[in-house]
Parts: sequence; structure tokens; C-alpha cells
Amino acid sequence: MSGKEITLIVDGREVAATEGEMLHDAAKRGDVEIPVFCYEPKLGEPVGACRMCLVEIEGIPKLQTSCSTPVRDGMVVHTRTDQVKHAQSAVVEFLLVNHPLDCPVCDKGGECPLQDITMGWGPGKTRFTDDKRHFQKPIELSPLVAIDRERCLHCYRFVRFSQEVAEDEQLQLLERGDRTFVGTFDDRPYVAPFHGNITDLCPVGALTNYTYRFRARPWDVEQAGSVCTLCPSQCNVSFTVRDEQVKRVVARDNPDVDDGWLCDRGRYGFEMFAAEERVTEPRLKGAAGGADWQAAIEKAAAGLKAAGVGKVAAIVGDASNEEGYLVQRIMREALDSENVAAGRAYGILRHDLVDISQPALSARVRDIDAADAILVIGTDPLHDSPILDLRIRKAVRRNGTKLAVATERPTTLDGGADAAVRYIPNATGAFLDDLVKSLSGSGDGESHFGADASQIADVLRDAEKVVVVWGENVAWGDGRGLLALAEALNIAEHDGAGMLEVPELANARGLREVGCMPEAGPGLSQRLGGMGVAGIRDGLQSGEIESLILFGVDPIRDFPNTARWKSALAAADHVVCFSMFENKTTALADVVFPLESHAEKDGTITHPDGRLQRVRPSASRPGDIRPNWGILAELSLALGFDTGISSQPSAFAALAGEVPFYAGITDGDIGGRGIRWQEGPAAAAFPTRPEPSGDPVELVFENEPGETTYTEARSYDLDVSTYRDLWVGPITELNPPLRFLSPRQTLELSPGDAERLKLEGGDEVTVSQNGSTIRARVAVRERMRDGTGFLIEGTASDNANALPDLAGTIAAKIAKVGE
Amino acid sequence: MTEFPYLKDQDAVEVQRGPEPGGVGGAYRAFGETLRGLKTTMARLIEGPLTIQYPEEKTPVYPRFRGRHKLHKFEDTGLEKCVGCSLCAAACPADCIRVVAAENIPGDRVSAGERYAAVYEINLSRCIFCGYCEIACPFDAITMGHDYEMADYDRDDLIFTKEMLLAEPIERTPLRAEGE
Repeated sequence: MSGKEITLIVDGREVAATEGEMLHDAAKRGDVEIPVFCYEPKLGEPVGACRMCLVEIEGIPKLQTSCSTPVRDGMVVHTRTDQVKHAQSAVVEFLLVNHPLDCPVCDKGGECPLQDITMGWGPGKTRFTDDKRHFQKPIELSPLVAIDRERCLHCYRFVRFSQEVAEDEQLQLLERGDRTFVGTFDDRPYVAPFHGNITDLCPVGALTNYTYRFRARPWDVEQAGSVCTLCPSQCNVSFTVRDEQVKRVVARDNPDVDDGWLCDRGRYGFEMFAAEERVTEPRLKGAAGGADWQAAIEKAAAGLKAAGVGKVAAIVGDASNEEGYLVQRIMREALDSENVAAGRAYGILRHDLVDISQPALSARVRDIDAADAILVIGTDPLHDSPILDLRIRKAVRRNGTKLAVATERPTTLDGGADAAVRYIPNATGAFLDDLVKSLSGSGDGESHFGADASQIADVLRDAEKVVVVWGENVAWGDGRGLLALAEALNIAEHDGAGMLEVPELANARGLREVGCMPEAGPGLSQRLGGMGVAGIRDGLQSGEIESLILFGVDPIRDFPNTARWKSALAAADHVVCFSMFENKTTALADVVFPLESHAEKDGTITHPDGRLQRVRPSASRPGDIRPNWGILAELSLALGFDTGISSQPSAFAALAGEVPFYAGITDGDIGGRGIRWQEGPAAAAFPTRPEPSGDPVELVFENEPGETTYTEARSYDLDVSTYRDLWVGPITELNPPLRFLSPRQTLELSPGDAERLKLEGGDEVTVSQNGSTIRARVAVRERMRDGTGFLIEGTASDNANALPDLAGTIAAKIAKVGE
Repeated sequence: MTEFPYLKDQDAVEVQRGPEPGGVGGAYRAFGETLRGLKTTMARLIEGPLTIQYPEEKTPVYPRFRGRHKLHKFEDTGLEKCVGCSLCAAACPADCIRVVAAENIPGDRVSAGERYAAVYEINLSRCIFCGYCEIACPFDAITMGHDYEMADYDRDDLIFTKEMLLAEPIERTPLRAEGE
């Protein structure tokens, strides 16, 4: 697109447009609506399949499809002449020839573009008297999406989504002519992580959600805009609420965050809000049934007070900024303890975080679209932040962005990448070191991943705008490698280049910035002496920590070394657990408080790119659940410390007062689309980067990476690492429609290792280390690094977290079951 | 003599007035008019009384009278005509209809289509009997019946459920005969 400004005339109005733009878009900006079915700019190139957008252009004798006609300077377009009207009504009549018109039964009725366009541009009468086309209906396209082939208009939207956006290439139009229908090869179910989007795209009721089947009509419901907090993507969503309950989740297009797509986790995850396992009232240990709120708060406060000074700790997980802020205030101000941590095992150190989060180094999500090259390191966006996966695919497909992937485990992006390499788990530092050396041309000297690193470096070297999408674990304990990479890529110098973190927690950035870090208070201010998650665990066992607050975390499921966490929680004198669901951790807690879901919560969260977004209460809270900020404020009062917080706005005001770079951002600024604090009024107040010491960066590794390469003399079979699967956890287990996606424990290994260990795909094996054993099924995967296997963390049974001590590799013994 | 607030000769336009009250003329006029009225009364006396003894007797209604709603079933199959499309709820200006649809299970069908109304409630204390629901219904599943006796002691009892709307009314309201 040249970007030249031109003008054209549509229905007598002068419309300004950009050269190369499609006529439909230009007309829309000039307030002229041209009806369309198949056109959707998000899906890429137009196809002109539905013929609904025909317009008359002076100088061209035949009608043209406005969706696929680029504008020219001085073009004169008519959309309301008799010729156009005749064509439009003929197209509608033709489309309706085979449409069953079962609107009263159809789920799309009331929000159906076909209904709207028929009313607006259709003939009102049909001349068709014969039998319509018949298909079996409805059929399961997948366990979540029903397809009604009679209603289909063959607009190609879903096919284009499958091929050009999700790139799973599963959906096709089969057969020809009036027998055409949507389907998959061999009628296999269409199971893909983003497939729910086709129900939003379908302009008729051909593709509908089973979860929303016959639940409500558009006039029965309210749409409540909010933000999904199930992963760090923080997609903007709109909850369809009927009778104060969420009935459906649809995307709310925000190009700065999600580009209008949603993953199936966010789309279908809502049914877990009503799960039986939901904690709906406060509960005391040993007491049957729920407890009185006042009694529970007093009990929790008494237990926390009883612990010695500094012998209290808190671990925060799924929490909004306000909740995290209040927890750290309770710890620091009411209980005089610095032991506040967020996450699972390790964290990023404060000074690294200050360096990496400098506004000059941080990328916006939008930067991915226009980048020259993207480096994905230490994360598989599909599992960790699904919507970024689509975003990166879009950049590669539409703009020819070069993609380099360097991870421990194969990613779904490998196929479209210019270079994809694997490094040994936990050797990210060594890999970064080699990559930096390779980029700066000093490739000589000792290197572990020389060839792999130079492959990646070749992709990135000549690019100016480089976006680095990095997994949180890359900077665990030591962020210097990442900083050296930023320096080698000259990220601070180039506009549109930057680093974008994919953290483990959905609101990791917000929690760090409001002070849920053992060594940093609100605004990343320097603090001293707190314990991290691992320290808290050891402290509980040794008696250094007596009392514990768990806010939205489930250590027994999600944290490494289940056995040690179990004994640590059992050793604690007093555990206050805030949890959405009953689980093994709440069973050990002395006081359990219910948590709100993201459809019920009111609060702000911070996107990994620094965007403050507002989660708005959309549905009613089941049972006797109260707002989380209110419980925390009352708990603080019961501890003898008045936070002065009496509402969500006052909580946000208090936290914005303490986080200097949030200062001046109001609820109005956040609005429906959020605001990046880097673009806010007080961005300059971000802590400054300490002066570089001048010494060359030298990295120190706990395990020398060279030792982990395979040798015959080893006493174990395989280095096994763990990863978090997209479908693991309550989201699938407590959610009937998604239950089929709940993964079984799987040991992934490379074909070489499979051969060496005499294993085949599908074999049942046991994986053991230090006396802990779990069962798994073998999956042989290409593109794995020899000598490295992977297990899934957090599965309902055979949880891989049972094996490692802290997040790290497991030197595992592998035995085939039954041998 | 009665003082008039205005004077005849001060009329801005010409006004026709009745005769001045009082006097012999007045008395004659009053008696004459009474007789004229009584003429009608006497003439109707032989027709007998027209009073309807409600509630023992009921006023017959016209065929298009809009009374309490009725839901219908197909006479041959016994399936409900309503498919739970909620169009009546959309059309309702008083917002008194609530429909919650569900999917038919093969073998235990409730309605003829894929979906049926699991909940169909009309809050008759809010209904204004405009008949828009009847017009909106694409399957003629809901019609306005002839019942108008719906008073009750409790507002909750005025929320009619699907079963109540499907059932025949206990007492039928008489219908006016052709040409009556």
C-alpha cells in the first residue's frame, strides 16, 4: 500500500481514502454502507464470494464487487442506482433460495447479518417454490461447534480463518455447486485452539456454539465488556449475560491487544464459574459447611497475628492489581513482613526488571505486526499466551516478517519460522550468550550452541525493527543475557523494536509493579530482605515462616515438588487460602475465602506490554462471595491496620498514588481499551536504569550446560523438563464442555531418544526421580532436541510437578509399564 | 331577577340563547321535557330488563376480543407449536414474557422444531393485552384467548406458566353470536 491520500466520490459524497484501500472500507468511512457477507479485512485478501457488495463505478460497464476493488483517485461510485438495487435484491433472493429460513429456531436469529441485509436490501418476496437443499442438521463440527449446512452461504470466512489466521488448514468447502458444504477431511472433528472464532465470523447461523445453543436471544441479554484474565494475553472480551449469569463470551476487538480473536480457553472457559467445586462462602478448617464472614476474617487475622514478627508470608497468583496491592500492604504494613512473592518458583530480580522494563526497550503488541523480524525465545505462545501465536502468524503471513524461534520444546510456530532451534532446558543463559556473541560477530571462543545461535543470528542480524517475545523463565534469576541481547539488537535505538514478555501469571506485570515482589515494593521501589516462593517453602518447613496467605495459587498442583509443598503446608501453623475452587491446597488451609471470577471482579490489570486494562463486573457472584478487595481491606482492619480503602476506585487511587508511573491515569483514561503507562502522563517516573558498570557481561550458570549432554555413562535415561499445557487445570476439568480437552500425562521425546530407549509412540511408561514416580504415555515428536524429554505440569493425575525440586530438569529413569 | 355576569347587548358576536328561566313558560318547558324523556322509558318498558347478572352471567365477547393468552399444540401429534424463539418476548411492549429455550431430545420431543420453550411465562399483571405477541409468533403458537377474569389475591399467581397457558380455561367465556 502506497499510503497516498486520494479522494473519490461515493453517492455524491466526497470521500478521502488511501490508495490501494478497498472500496468498501473507503465508502464505510464516508458513511455509505455497502452490504457484505464474505468480506472481513481481518481474514486477509478479499475473495468476492458472496456478490453482495456490487456497486456501479462510472466508466466500468458491469457492476463491481466493492470489497475487492481498490480505490482510484477520482473514482465515481454509485451504490443506490436501480441497477445496483436490482443486483442486490437478486443476490439476496439467490442466497435465500437454499437458506432454510428457520430463523425462529436458529441461534443467530436477532443478530444475523443475513436477516439484517435481507430486511435492508432484499426483495421481501421469493419466487422459489421448489424443495430446498437438504442436509442432515445439526452436525457436530467439533464437540463445541455445531454446523448446520443448510444455512451456509458459502462465504468462505471460516475457510479463510482456518487457512490464513489459525493456519490449521482443517476446514474446507467440499463438493461443488449447490452440493457444496463445509467440512473437514474425512469428517474428523475440527479441534484447534482457536476454532471458536468461526462462530463469531459466520454471517448466518451455520456455525453455532454448543455452549450457547438455545440459551438466549439478543434481546434477552446484556453485553458486558471486560477483559479475560485466564492468560497474559488479556484479550478484551464481551460477556453475554442473561439472568446475571454468563452465557457466552465473544471477542471485543482491540487491535492493541487481541486483534479481535479469542482462544477457545477464553471463549468456552466460562462454564467453570458455575462449577460445583467453586468456593462460594468462607470456610474454616474442620467445620462442616460455610462460616460467617466476620468469624472467618477474625480467625484469619488471629492466625496471622499469632505468628512471630517477619514469620508471615504471602504468595499471589491470579489477582488484579488492587488485590495484589492490598496483599502486599497487609504483609508490609499490617504484618511488617517483606515476604511477598508472585509466581511459582523463581522470579525476575528487581534490578533486571527495572532494566528490561524501560519504556525504550518495551514493545507494544502492535509492534509485532510491523516488525522486520521476531525472535521468540523461551516460550511457546500457543500455550503461554495463545493470542500472540495468531499475532505472530499474521505478521509472518501478511508482512513477510522474519521469524526466529529458540525454545526448549517444539512450538507451533516452528513451521513458519525462518529458523527454529532447540536448546537444553535451563540453559537459556548459555544460549543467549552464544546468540549475543554471534550477533556481535565475536563468535570465537567457547560456545555450546554455536551453530544454532548463528542460525538465529542470521535471521535477526540485518533487521532493524526486532521484537523479542521472551518467556519469563529466560530472565529468572539473571536478566543480563536478555539485556545483552537487547543491546546487541540495538532495540532501544529503533522505533518499533522492543521486548515483549510472556509471563507465567496472567497479571504478572501488574503484580510486580504494585509490589508483589520480595525485593520490590509498589512502583518497583527497592526493598530488602524478603523471601521468594522457594524461600517461603523452605521457611515453612524449617519453621522460619509460620503463617501463610495464598491468594489465587494452588501450590500443590502448580508448583514444582508437590511432596515438599504438601509437607510445607502441613507444617505451617496457619494458612489463609483465597481460592476460586476447592482443591488439594484449600483442603489443607485453615481459612478458605472465596475468590471472584474475572466475570465478577472489578479491578485493573496490566498487560505484559504495560497496558492497564479494567476488568468490569459483569455477572452476579454465586453464593455468598464478596468482592476480593473488600475482604482484604477488612482483613487488614482486623489486623489493626486501616488501609483507608472502601471501594474499587479508592483501591486504584491508592495504588496509583504509590506506583509513580501509574500516577495520573484515571479510570476514564483506561476506558474500554486500556492505556499503556508508557504513554501515560507519568511514564518518566519509572525507576531509572542503574549506570552500566562497564564490565563485560559474564554469565554464571548453576549447571554447566555441557554436563547435561547425553553420555552413556549416566545413571539416568533422560533429562526431562516440564511445560504448562494450554488445556491443563480447572479450566478443562471443572468445565463440562471442555473436559474432553483435559490432557493426559504425556512424555514427549525425540525420535532418537525413542529409539535409544526402545520406546514407541503410545507406550505407557513410568518416569521416576528420587523415589517419585508418575505414569505417562509416550509421544515421539520431531524437532525435539535429543536427550531432552517433556512432561506436562499440573495434570489432574500423574502431575509432573511431583518430580522436580524447583523448576528445572528431572534426571529421570524411564521404564515401560509391564516390563 | 338573576344578575347575569354579561349583558346581552354587549355580545361581540350574535349569540343564540335559550329562553330566560322561571315563569310559566319555564314550568311548561320542564314538564314537557320530562314527558319526552319518559316516552323513551315507557317505550322500552315492555322489552324487559337488559342487566346482565355478573358473575352468574357473563358478557359474551367478540371473536377478536383480546383476553388471556393461550398456547397451542398440534392436534394430530400433540407437540407444542411453540419453538421458544422468543419473538413474542421481543415484540412485547410491557416486557412481560420470559422464554428460556432448550433443545429437543430425539425420542422425547416437546415441540416440532429443534428447540422448544423450557420456560414460558407471562406476567399477566404487567400484560397490556395488546396482542403483539400473537402477531409476532411465526408458528401461531400463542393466541389471545377470550378469558378476562384474571383477578387474583397474589401477584405471584398472575405469572402464568407454560402449563397454565397450554391448559384449556376452566370456564369458557361465552362468545357473541354472528351479527349480535
